[in-house]
Amino acid sequence: MRRQWLAGLMALGLALALLAGGVEAQQKLIRLTFYYPVGVAGPLAKVIGEMTDKFNKEHPGIEVVPVYSGDYDPTLQKVQTAVMAGNPPDIFIVEISELPTLLAMNAIIPLDEYVKKAEGGKYWEDFFPAFRENSVVRGKTWWIPFQRSTPVFYWNKELFKKAGLDPEKPPQTWAELKEMAKKLTVREGNEIKQWGVTVSGGWNDWLFEAFVRQSGGWLINPEGTKVNFASKEAVEALEFWVELMHKEKVGPPHSTWGSTPPDFVAQRTAMLYHSTGILTFLRNSAKFDFGVAFMPKNRTFGAEVGGGNLAIARKIPKERQDAAWKFIEWMTSSENAAAWSLASGYVATRKSAYDVAAMKEFLAKDSRYLVAREQLQYAFGKMMAPNFQKIREILKKQLDDAVDGKVPPKEAMQTVQKQVEAVIKR
Amino acid sequence: MALRKRLAHLPTHLVLGSISLVAVTPYLWLLSTSLKFPKEVFTPTPRWIPWPVNFGNYAEVFDRAPFGVFLVNTVLVVTGILAVQLVTITLAAYVFARRTFRGQSLLFGLFLIQMMIPIHATFVPNFLTLRNLDLLNTRVAMMLPFFASGYGTFLLRQAFRQIPQDLEDAAVIDGCGGLRFLWHVLVPLARPTLVAFGLISLVSHWNDYLWPLIVTDTPDVRTLTIGLGMFVQQESGADWTLLMAATAFVTAPLMVIFLIFQRKFIESFMFSGLKG
Repeated sequence: MRRQWLAGLMALGLALALLAGGVEAQQKLIRLTFYYPVGVAGPLAKVIGEMTDKFNKEHPGIEVVPVYSGDYDPTLQKVQTAVMAGNPPDIFIVEISELPTLLAMNAIIPLDEYVKKAEGGKYWEDFFPAFRENSVVRGKTWWIPFQRSTPVFYWNKELFKKAGLDPEKPPQTWAELKEMAKKLTVREGNEIKQWGVTVSGGWNDWLFEAFVRQSGGWLINPEGTKVNFASKEAVEALEFWVELMHKEKVGPPHSTWGSTPPDFVAQRTAMLYHSTGILTFLRNSAKFDFGVAFMPKNRTFGAEVGGGNLAIARKIPKERQDAAWKFIEWMTSSENAAAWSLASGYVATRKSAYDVAAMKEFLAKDSRYLVAREQLQYAFGKMMAPNFQKIREILKKQLDDAVDGKVPPKEAMQTVQKQVEAVIKR
Repeated sequence: MALRKRLAHLPTHLVLGSISLVAVTPYLWLLSTSLKFPKEVFTPTPRWIPWPVNFGNYAEVFDRAPFGVFLVNTVLVVTGILAVQLVTITLAAYVFARRTFRGQSLLFGLFLIQMMIPIHATFVPNFLTLRNLDLLNTRVAMMLPFFASGYGTFLLRQAFRQIPQDLEDAAVIDGCGGLRFLWHVLVPLARPTLVAFGLISLVSHWNDYLWPLIVTDTPDVRTLTIGLGMFVQQESGADWTLLMAATAFVTAPLMVIFLIFQRKFIESFMFSGLKG
């Protein structure tokens, strides 16, 4: 009996192996493949589907086929695999720091010709300068800001009240932050019941760059040729982290990017550094009143941007590239930039998007969404370089070791400097 | 008597019970979270009983992606892979265990190397092959690279080698040929190994994520893990209630399969041995 069953299974296997079901679809005039990642919570795959449907209806000769491709990392892998196999997606979104990687693969085309002509020449200037920064390298514009974020500062007003602090006054400076964090940390014996401030882990390299900006420094130049990790400002930023997390013990030295927003909601931390992208999640989940503010300053307010941009593949015919541009221009129009921001919680990429009626109406109800936009005036592009994943690893390792008290901050940053220089020279 | 016997087993049962509790707890928490409203998930003290109960998460999960289609695809892919693997590893293991030919150890060495190459290194060449075969964005594309298994061949070869030569000699004297011997003697005796390998294969391919994501584009051929991935977000963290509801749905079939076949699995381990 059992053997028959096994034989049946084997036969089934052979049958399946022989059955090659190719998916053929009808050819329209121009059919474009569009790979996109989903980076924030919400039914965004559906939103992208609805947006492309609308575009396809309005543009009869073009059909854009959206392909959900995971998080940022899997999306990059899917794009890279397809490009190397000579079968690139026509349009795709990847994380902004990967631009040098795309350029090294010769995967995308510059968009200057299109950008110049778009919206009577006023298109590009309308994007916030900080969002434009990660697009321009070697004197050319390579891709268009789409799903963009920036880190901001969240505080729990109820816990402020409980600690005897003014719930309407978040810390403005690093010094104030430290003092407030001390007051907001609740200990029971050796156990910490409530952290004063959480600088979220996981993408702590991204947040670290903001602290360096607040000291007036930078880490990698826009061309990705010079690194500045051992600078006074970078060391100062790390020293501040070590003070918070190791010496004063008012913030957890280790956490993950996904776990800190829930920690904030569960009131296990009173203040939080995280992406503006979690605001909707916090609004839906928190039972207490909380505020959004600029990240406190050291010498100056400072931030950097994050998220993903839209690019067009190089190894496809010109008419496909032209059609792809039509789609990108449409997706990033003021109206659609506003609609996308409302659906996703990302910062709208263009100034004029904030004049769209639906956006105005929404912001009138909750002005906390405006903080990220206001902070953009102090924001810079995110650092980028070839082999960026490797650089992130190097930086994160030293950040972790330093806040554990294993390495002095200065030494840690010198190690990063040396190792990243070696990566960049390769 | 019976009572004393039971009492004697008590310490064992206590230990086993507490271990299973540890194993089951995350799953119970998952079920509990999947039935909560977002505001009830992260409370200062954990709350086990979801109240008010929210079944809407499951509906929402199905609304966001076609999980029914994903389930069918996943079942087709994992059973397809396993079925072909059982044929290929059985034949290959037989040859490596029971026959001698020139270059045998070299060839077997190459099989073993297949186990050591990280799967990611094979993505681009495999992708190119599938493209040339015009198989991209099909279920077959997700199966094809796994039809041969170095690991399975190795495992089964070891099992075949442990079966005494006497059995084969006796079979040959009775006029039994190679394949017949394989089918009637070796395969039944190696059933525990086949079952063990089958489990590993099923579970690991059920969990495959990156390869299916890379070779497929449309929801009609995609698998459960890709649907699940939609609820894990890098920039903002996750929609926990939805993620847990989706996870419950994605893991449930494996649990059900195990519960149904549990007795069979254990039986097949117990009745193995030299029975002729």
